[in-house]
Amino acid sequence: MPLLDILPQLIVNGLIAGSIYALAASGFSLIYYVVKFQYFSHGAIMAIAAYSFFAFVNLMHLNYILAAILTIIISIVVTLLKNLFVYGQLRKRKATPTISLITSVVVLIFISSLLLAIFGSSTKIISFYNKTFDFGTFTITLIQVSVIASAILLFLFLWFIVKKTKFGKAMRALADNKDVAQIVGINPEKIYIYTFIISAIFGAIGGVLLGLEQNLYPRMGIPIIIKGFIGSVVGGLGSVPGAIAGGLFIGLAENIGVLYLPTGYKDVISFSVLLLFLLFRPQGILGVKIRDT
Amino acid sequence: MIHEFIISDLTVISIYVIVVLSFNLTVGFTGLVNLGHMAFFGFGAYASALLTLSGVPWYIALPLAGILTGILGAIIAAITVRLKGDYFQIVTLGLVFIAITISRNWISLTRGALGLPGVPEIIRNNFHYMLFVMAILTACVIFFYWLTNSETGKIFQAIRDDETATAILGKNTYLYKVLSITISTFFAGIAGSLFVHYIQFVDPTIFDLEFFVLILAMLIAGGLASIKGSIIGVFSLSILLTSIRFIFADISPELIGAMRQMLFMLILILILIYRPRGMFGKVDV
Repeated sequence: MPLLDILPQLIVNGLIAGSIYALAASGFSLIYYVVKFQYFSHGAIMAIAAYSFFAFVNLMHLNYILAAILTIIISIVVTLLKNLFVYGQLRKRKATPTISLITSVVVLIFISSLLLAIFGSSTKIISFYNKTFDFGTFTITLIQVSVIASAILLFLFLWFIVKKTKFGKAMRALADNKDVAQIVGINPEKIYIYTFIISAIFGAIGGVLLGLEQNLYPRMGIPIIIKGFIGSVVGGLGSVPGAIAGGLFIGLAENIGVLYLPTGYKDVISFSVLLLFLLFRPQGILGVKIRDT
Repeated sequence: MIHEFIISDLTVISIYVIVVLSFNLTVGFTGLVNLGHMAFFGFGAYASALLTLSGVPWYIALPLAGILTGILGAIIAAITVRLKGDYFQIVTLGLVFIAITISRNWISLTRGALGLPGVPEIIRNNFHYMLFVMAILTACVIFFYWLTNSETGKIFQAIRDDETATAILGKNTYLYKVLSITISTFFAGIAGSLFVHYIQFVDPTIFDLEFFVLILAMLIAGGLASIKGSIIGVFSLSILLTSIRFIFADISPELIGAMRQMLFMLILILILIYRPRGMFGKVDV
């Protein structure tokens, strides 16, 4: 088969992977933009969401809608607990961004071990109703259509919140200048909590979609947040639209790269993209300026 | 005769002290938060493994692994130390992920995830090897004491405290920063080589986040910019880890591993929240 014939399929695959990466990247970037630290434990929330959905659907046989709602609730609760016991304490003690970064990696490993303790190390598969559509040049499954559709819906939801609501305005003010925001009466802690809740919703849905696309294993939060991290750096760290663009870019690059390289080299492609961006355009595609110290 | 268990622990602890000391030189003394330090440690391990497996004797492979790692560190530093603040951290953290990818996928060289088994030992007797590692460690400790109290060491610390002022005094801060990373990565490479010849095996898990977090925790628990802190930090966290081994002794092995990891991470979180400067730390990260 000539190589170009499989191009439509590769683009579709790239969009599917890219949507999940973009969900990981946007949660990571949103926290970086507002709360100002590199939020690696977002990967853990995605892993928790995937496992909760698995437990509700396959072990407790709940219906899908209820399972999805419960998964989102669990993700929000865990995120708020993390904020209450860890990140809130770090902020209270004025921890440096580096300490917060390290702590978020430690939390990521903690939650991976927790999942290992609860569910064991064997890989799990969420068995879910699926259907394949054949378009001639490419095929796509129902789950994959819903991956792309839910990503688009979530991004529209985020855009609406950030740009069109009073809360979004307060969030942007806080992100731009914390002191001035406080002077005009914005309570940072309250905004931080809402921001964490939004990131938890993204993590929950991203995690469920990830769980439907691949196997579940306790450390699954680590590779996905590394992709999310690459996506947000490539897009421009601290810019949520950039994170979405970066995530999609990485997904497409990895899958279209299959034309030239064996599939095992997917990670090599994303890291090469990361390396090139870090060296030649560290401010990313959308070119936001990040904190200089 | 000392128990085999203690010999093995002391060998690994001594190697960790070398890693943490070299890590402290850039992060603590020079103020460059190089989150890619373990990539250099792993590079040194791979370099030494590949050299000895292709027939190079260890007394050439050991220094050569350090020198090659130092050269790599100098090249990467020359490109990256101009980056400011978060960018430098991001690039260096990216190095770890790049190292994982290369070691997993350059199969003709590294055998990918299978790793490289059968790396020759330097000294067959474990007790003698422990003494050998400790001798190198002693030399490192003396060197780092001398370096950090020398003029160069003072300039490193001046750069950390106020780079602009140091530049005004006529010091080429760029060169000093590259020098700091070169020295630090040289020792990381030596430590990697000592480590790989001890466990006689290397695979991509050497770049795992868990291992990186362990070393970072030892650095922070001991305290930045303190040589005494680095030594005590490694010892206290190693003793803690060893004692955790005995706590959950009567549950299933899979669960034990997970519980130990959770307990250790919990302790790290408490240290990071309540004592981010560690025991002897003089500066913040």
